[in-house]
Amino acid sequence: MEGKEWFSKLRNKLSGSDGSAAQWPDWYCHYRQRTANPPAPLSAVSSLSIVVLDAETTGLDVRVDRILCLGALRVHGNSISLGEKFEAYLPTPPGCDAKPAVSIHGIIPNSHRYSYVEEPKLLADLLEYLGDSIIVGHHIGFDIEMINRSLLRNGAAPLVNRVIDTGILAKRLRPSGYWTPENDYSLDALARRYRIPLSDRHTALGDCYITAVLWLKLLTRLTVKLGRELRLEDLE
Amino acid sequence: MPNQVTYRVFDFLKEIEPFSYLDQEALLRVAARVEVRYQPPGTVVFRPGEPPRDRFFVVKEGTIELYSEDQDGNELLIERCGEGEIFGIRPLLAEDNYVFLARAAEESLLYAVNSEGFRDLITNYPRVLEYLMTSMAGSSRYAVEYRASTSPARVDRRHSASSPDLQSLQSVQQSREPVVCGPDESIINAARTMTEHGVGSIVIVDTERRPVGIVTDRDLRRSVATAVVSRQAAVSTIMSKPVLCIAAGASIADIQIRMLRSGYHHLVLTEDGTDKSPVTGVVSEHDLLLAQGNSPAVLIQEISRARSSRYLRELRDRAERILAGYLEKQVAISHITAVMTQINDEIIRKCMKLALARMQADGHGNPPALFDWLALGSQGRGEQLLRTDQDNALIFEDVPEAKYNTVKAYFLKLADFVTEFLNDAGYQYCDGDMMASNPKWCLSVSKWKEQFSHWMHENTAENMLNTSIFFDYRGVWGDGSLPDKLTTHIFDEMASQSTRFQASLAQAALQNPSPLTFFRNFVVERSGEHKDQFDLKARAMRPLTDAARVLILQARKGNVNNTFRRYEALAEIEPQNADLYREAAEAYEVLIRLRADIGLKRGDSGRFIKPEELSQVQRLLLRNSFNPVKEIQQLLEIRFQLNFLR
Repeated sequence: MEGKEWFSKLRNKLSGSDGSAAQWPDWYCHYRQRTANPPAPLSAVSSLSIVVLDAETTGLDVRVDRILCLGALRVHGNSISLGEKFEAYLPTPPGCDAKPAVSIHGIIPNSHRYSYVEEPKLLADLLEYLGDSIIVGHHIGFDIEMINRSLLRNGAAPLVNRVIDTGILAKRLRPSGYWTPENDYSLDALARRYRIPLSDRHTALGDCYITAVLWLKLLTRLTVKLGRELRLEDLE
Repeated sequence: MPNQVTYRVFDFLKEIEPFSYLDQEALLRVAARVEVRYQPPGTVVFRPGEPPRDRFFVVKEGTIELYSEDQDGNELLIERCGEGEIFGIRPLLAEDNYVFLARAAEESLLYAVNSEGFRDLITNYPRVLEYLMTSMAGSSRYAVEYRASTSPARVDRRHSASSPDLQSLQSVQQSREPVVCGPDESIINAARTMTEHGVGSIVIVDTERRPVGIVTDRDLRRSVATAVVSRQAAVSTIMSKPVLCIAAGASIADIQIRMLRSGYHHLVLTEDGTDKSPVTGVVSEHDLLLAQGNSPAVLIQEISRARSSRYLRELRDRAERILAGYLEKQVAISHITAVMTQINDEIIRKCMKLALARMQADGHGNPPALFDWLALGSQGRGEQLLRTDQDNALIFEDVPEAKYNTVKAYFLKLADFVTEFLNDAGYQYCDGDMMASNPKWCLSVSKWKEQFSHWMHENTAENMLNTSIFFDYRGVWGDGSLPDKLTTHIFDEMASQSTRFQASLAQAALQNPSPLTFFRNFVVERSGEHKDQFDLKARAMRPLTDAARVLILQARKGNVNNTFRRYEALAEIEPQNADLYREAAEAYEVLIRLRADIGLKRGDSGRFIKPEELSQVQRLLLRNSFNPVKEIQQLLEIRFQLNFLR
């Protein structure tokens, strides 16, 4: 899985230059304590705490672009709890306004419609919300990398949660081939295939919601395919 | 700040009753706490016996089926809930476990609404409670379909939302001292005290007047009348305890909710709302009903107390609000028409009494002969929901020829007053002068017999029209024996002569051509004031009432006037056609409801409809109701061999 590969690479890199652990901010230390015991591969998926996550950014280049908004929803078993949502906006960094991405997510730079927080506060709140939950997202590798870069910039280390990509899950369920073109695993295409209405696309929480429903629908189909209850290892 | 997903839920819920009664802010709060549940096909949402866990469900996508299980574990489908429908709410309000099994029939998405937040809202939004109470009373197939049809363009809510709702927030008036006794009082003495005070319950109190129990009529019936307990035993042996207490200043809505949740029929009011302070009063379900003032029983009582015809108009306006509430809540049409007919009749009787008093006052004295006041047309059939023109007549007993003119003059004068008062009350004078104040329609028994015989022999178009109005007569005030004499005469006349009369009557029922054009569009009026409108009365309702009349006459069943009662009676007489008759009755109900809905919305009689003002579902319902119209017409054609006549 691409996310996992990326992780191990990053972990190796980290263990090489591990001198920074002592200077981790308190909120990150606290997060690492909470994630010390990750869920076992044999645990039933229905019993796990899942967080569906989506980031809206100024663009697609992880080196220069920045996060504008983070949204997340919690999923327990087969239900999505709207009361336990995470939503936070960052001010648009200088030089990043007037980017073409504005027309996609519609977040007007520094608009008064949102209340903004500073980056460290956003990261601390996010990690508090995440705990040791499994992170689920669509083409989530990008979002994770954006968050990790932000974490590193703020003196912390990357996320350690287990990450599952609904795009890859969908591909496993229905591999590309003659009938399904290689590029047909976009959130829009999948939402259409699994009949999920596409309103509020490209708001972080709106995408989270669509992804969460997609996640639940994919899990059901995978359960039917395997003929037994899903375990975490089935999703690797 | 509410987020996009909350708005998505909000947008969906705001179209659905009872969420539609909440204001935006309150509904956004509800939406923000919703849990979205995904149910793969065949999965169970809840099982019988499970506790409800503080949530109820709205179907966002898919279908949920509710099953009940019999003793052998067989599943019986109770209801199928589609998009926008609510289920699993009753156990929450009644604080009871689930009774049904709820299972996804297909891949479904549910909004689980947190009932904690919702329950608090009920107190502030009495409409929500009212909706929930009536929806729990159950619904028929047509009611469900109709609900779907009315939800997008709801009947103007201001009518029903005004006075009765404000009242439900007021506290219950306590006009009377609570009736109490000590726990050692004998049952027989307690019962005597209740009878003396004319109350249905007695509160058992300790020495400091704090409530320890309550004995109601029901307790007495259950234990004493069945001789389970001696009448000399102490009341404490049969009292219900503990009593449910509520603070003396509680609003009607508070009390309703408490009763609904607890299933108790009586609440005891105490100074501080607990059983540790003295009793100040008792509220029963009945008191609550009266306090709300929008019960038909209260209205009828009020009508009988009215002293002027102007006040009657006000009361009739109130009746219209009750009607709007009933329609909105999908109360069965047979019940609605029964209630409205009773109210209309009561108003006619009141006008009659006012007119008789006026005759006295003007020095005309008492009626010189026995008479009956007849309601005709839709009021005669007991199907009038909205105020339409007056259609009435008067019949008086035969008097010697010499006295005939003076007697008739008296009754014409009386009828003048009655019709004037009815006009004041909002029932307009009839354009065609089909009123008892018209010398043609104020006749003695013999003259009426002659008139009916004439109509039955001379089958001209005009006579057939008169037949359709006058044959649905019903005595509303008077001696009561005269209408029966007329009915007997009509049946005798029919026996003595050929089937020609019936055939012409049937022919008249076919006068109105099919309500649909070849392309399944509505036939609209081609010219005049109502150009391009569909005449609901003439095209769809009249064929059904006309057919019911001729068939019931043929079956020789007098005293059944109501069109759907007539079809019900016919279904029993002719089991081979029972299905068709039942369909006709249902179709007629749909038409009455539709007409009343539209009439209330526009403030007119609802007779003419612009097809484009109907919702998709209303249009469909209307079209479906035409099928029985067509089939009934075919039945008449065959039975009375009308194809030979034409």
